[in-house]
Amino acid sequence: MNHGIFSLFRRTHPTLIAAALAVIVSSASLAADKPVELRVLTHSSFAIPKPLLAQFEKEAGVKLRIVKAGDAGEMLNKLILTRAAPIADVVFGIDNALASKALAADILESTSASASQRKSAAPLPAPLVPVDYGYVTVNYDKAWFAKRSIALPKTLDDLAQPAMAKLLVVQNPATSSPGYAFLLATIGAMGEEKAFDWWARMRSGGVKVAKGWSEAYYTNFSRAEGGAYPLVISYATSPAAELFYSKEKITEPPTGSLTLAGGVFRQVEGVALVKGGQSRMAAEKFIDFLRSNAVQQQLQTEMWMYPAEVSVARADVMKFAPEPTKFDTPSEKDIAEKGSAWVARWTKVVLK
Amino acid sequence: MRASFQNRFAPWLMAGLPLLFLMLMLIAPVGRLLLEGAWSKPGDAASLWLAPWQDPYLRWRMLWSALQAAFTCGVVLVVGVPIAWVLARFEFRGRSWVLRALMLPFVVPTLVAAMGVLVLFGPQGWVVQWGGPSLGDTPYLLLYGNVFFNLCVLVRAATEGLEQVSASRMAAARTLGATPWRAFWRVEWPALLPWLMSALCLVFLYCFSGFGLALVLGGQHYATVEVEIYTLVAHELQLAQAGVLALWVLLFTGGLAWTYAWVESRLAGPVRADRIARRRPQTASQWLALAAALVVLVFLCLAPLVAIVMRAAQTGAAGWAVLLNPDTLDAVWNTVRFSASALVLATLLGLVHALAAQRVIWLRTLVFLPFVVSPILVAFGLLLLYPRWTASAPLLIAAYALLAYPFVAKSVAAGLDAMPPHLLAAAKILGANPWRVFWRITFPLLLPALRRGMAFAAATAVGEFAVTLFLSRPEWATLSTLIYEHLGRPGATHHDAALVLSCVLMALALAVFMAIERPSLRSRTDGETYA
Repeated sequence: MNHGIFSLFRRTHPTLIAAALAVIVSSASLAADKPVELRVLTHSSFAIPKPLLAQFEKEAGVKLRIVKAGDAGEMLNKLILTRAAPIADVVFGIDNALASKALAADILESTSASASQRKSAAPLPAPLVPVDYGYVTVNYDKAWFAKRSIALPKTLDDLAQPAMAKLLVVQNPATSSPGYAFLLATIGAMGEEKAFDWWARMRSGGVKVAKGWSEAYYTNFSRAEGGAYPLVISYATSPAAELFYSKEKITEPPTGSLTLAGGVFRQVEGVALVKGGQSRMAAEKFIDFLRSNAVQQQLQTEMWMYPAEVSVARADVMKFAPEPTKFDTPSEKDIAEKGSAWVARWTKVVLK
Repeated sequence: MRASFQNRFAPWLMAGLPLLFLMLMLIAPVGRLLLEGAWSKPGDAASLWLAPWQDPYLRWRMLWSALQAAFTCGVVLVVGVPIAWVLARFEFRGRSWVLRALMLPFVVPTLVAAMGVLVLFGPQGWVVQWGGPSLGDTPYLLLYGNVFFNLCVLVRAATEGLEQVSASRMAAARTLGATPWRAFWRVEWPALLPWLMSALCLVFLYCFSGFGLALVLGGQHYATVEVEIYTLVAHELQLAQAGVLALWVLLFTGGLAWTYAWVESRLAGPVRADRIARRRPQTASQWLALAAALVVLVFLCLAPLVAIVMRAAQTGAAGWAVLLNPDTLDAVWNTVRFSASALVLATLLGLVHALAAQRVIWLRTLVFLPFVVSPILVAFGLLLLYPRWTASAPLLIAAYALLAYPFVAKSVAAGLDAMPPHLLAAAKILGANPWRVFWRITFPLLLPALRRGMAFAAATAVGEFAVTLFLSRPEWATLSTLIYEHLGRPGATHHDAALVLSCVLMALALAVFMAIERPSLRSRTDGETYA
């Protein structure tokens, strides 16, 4: 009965294909780029003001092609997966928790950029050149604790008390880098066995697990409208950012950062050449650019990290983000060898 | 002889385009990724294949994914059919806007939708303030999340199905003394069934492989198997284990899709083109039914969005100043051009696929492929297969079209199944050539179904389901990416900007729906019929 329709479409088939091709070709023109370009792979939190990037493009004589590839862990895996045909010339955002995985996969190349010779406020294994660093800590909602006059936890042990554990939301280390960093801090401080005992206590105390930072901070944290948890894993700089981006002028951040022994992880982010990448000269210029005064100053209030360059002045608002004096990290070798086993064990202890 | 040759091979020729597209955008990349996994993990294949079933945790994930999907199907069926009946039979002011607004849950970024839901039901939410229970951290919230997203799929499909019910058959049934209830079960329900099956199949697949809103609301304890696959691929690069898990899922969901396609081809029957005209509610009980349907719809689908709009309104001038930001204007433009390109491609693919798949069950099944293969595998596979094309606009648009086109194909297929054959036959007997038959009869009759499919496709493109999985470039930032960027940082102004931008996204989506659906919705409110 319907073969009329079919024979009709048999005839119009070439037209349809032509139309499809027209669509594809016309959208291809969207991607037209200048020939000389530097391909920069970053995680999704990368933020440098456009004028600075434009200035760099002008001075170095290159066209930047910045590609955001998800969070740092996802970005690194994409880089490892495509190592036969690298998708970037230079990569920013590999941190100390991922460094050993990147080194083991042999996807980075050594650099002679002058920034790599300079002293850095926080170290990273070569060939990664440190750009910035920050601390993953427990943040708290000041108003919530003040209203109920409940004392803040002073140690991880306090935090594991049932009354306190049920106030904390952590990110799943399998899907979130701050979540993973916090897990590493607890293992670095207590050793694997004791750390997982502690996590087991947190679980029975009722710790909440969220998928990622955004979910935890904007849906579970008590500062968010829907949230009931006044403690959240975030960064030591988050209170300063809360003040900086507050609606009304306030003199005191609405949140604070706790520096519990064993609950602080120092995250150092770096930049490196990608093995097999092109435009090596331009890539090294970009590495130096990330360590330039202007970028080191701007990144403080754009990415909310501390500058790796020792001589760079701190942004004014950073006085609300004092640096923790103590932090805990397992050895890089342990992280490389046991990292994913720890995540699997965490899943078993906290979620299963 | 020649005619039967055409009859046999025409579908294959037409299927060429969607098949080629599926091959390039889905089958080859995922296959390449699975091969990578197979190479990287030599040896013990048997234990790898059995692992998902031996590990009680993974077994529970699979079972839980299926359970919650089945339960959601049950809920949307029970709630959705009466609502659809009311929307299909009664005429009232703003009806077409209700049908459009129903699709907004598809558009809003998951995290924003979660924020809206929690404004209502969270521990400090309005419901609690009015003395109700807090749904925070309960499975109810997860279920609410699923219903919020999926009710529209069922209601839209069922509304259209009910509109196709033959007026003369209903009249005959009533004249012969059937009660409205009996007339519903004997006349309307059988006509509705194919449409319901189609929608339920989509809902099930969505819930089964979903890891959006429900998960944010329900928490990590309720993770579906899709989350396992995501973690294995994106964070652990354990491609072998991920591939095995994905293939088990594909076996199950693919089997389901095939069964459905088979049932559908059995159930499908042409409808008479004499539609039942909608009337304004006459009696008090009819008005009451209408009011009840709207209240339930608002409560289940729109309330969280209203909460977002209200919160955005409360941010005041300072919050709305984000609209003047050049980044925002760029994002609006990017959203418009990417969505438009993806929609054109999706419409073309969907239309051709549906026409080709009319008689071929496995082609019908294949329509579901983009829904049942986990998008993270597609994203990583594309990267591996086309490294030179990474972060190129055509690839991104093709990826959006891939996720959007099954909606067009499904909707058009349903329209084709319901096509009254005597009209085509009459036209041909009267000497119309196939072109003319298509343009004058088939196409106009298909138009409402095509428009419904396009509206859903547009919603997926504007809302960018998989936005976080694919590579992106800052100069291509769309509204969704911008919203996620704001929600990636602490601070009240970021929070407010995300809410305001979500309102912009919803307004844009409504404008798109209006552009796509206005003619069809209006012509029906005028009581016109197509025959």
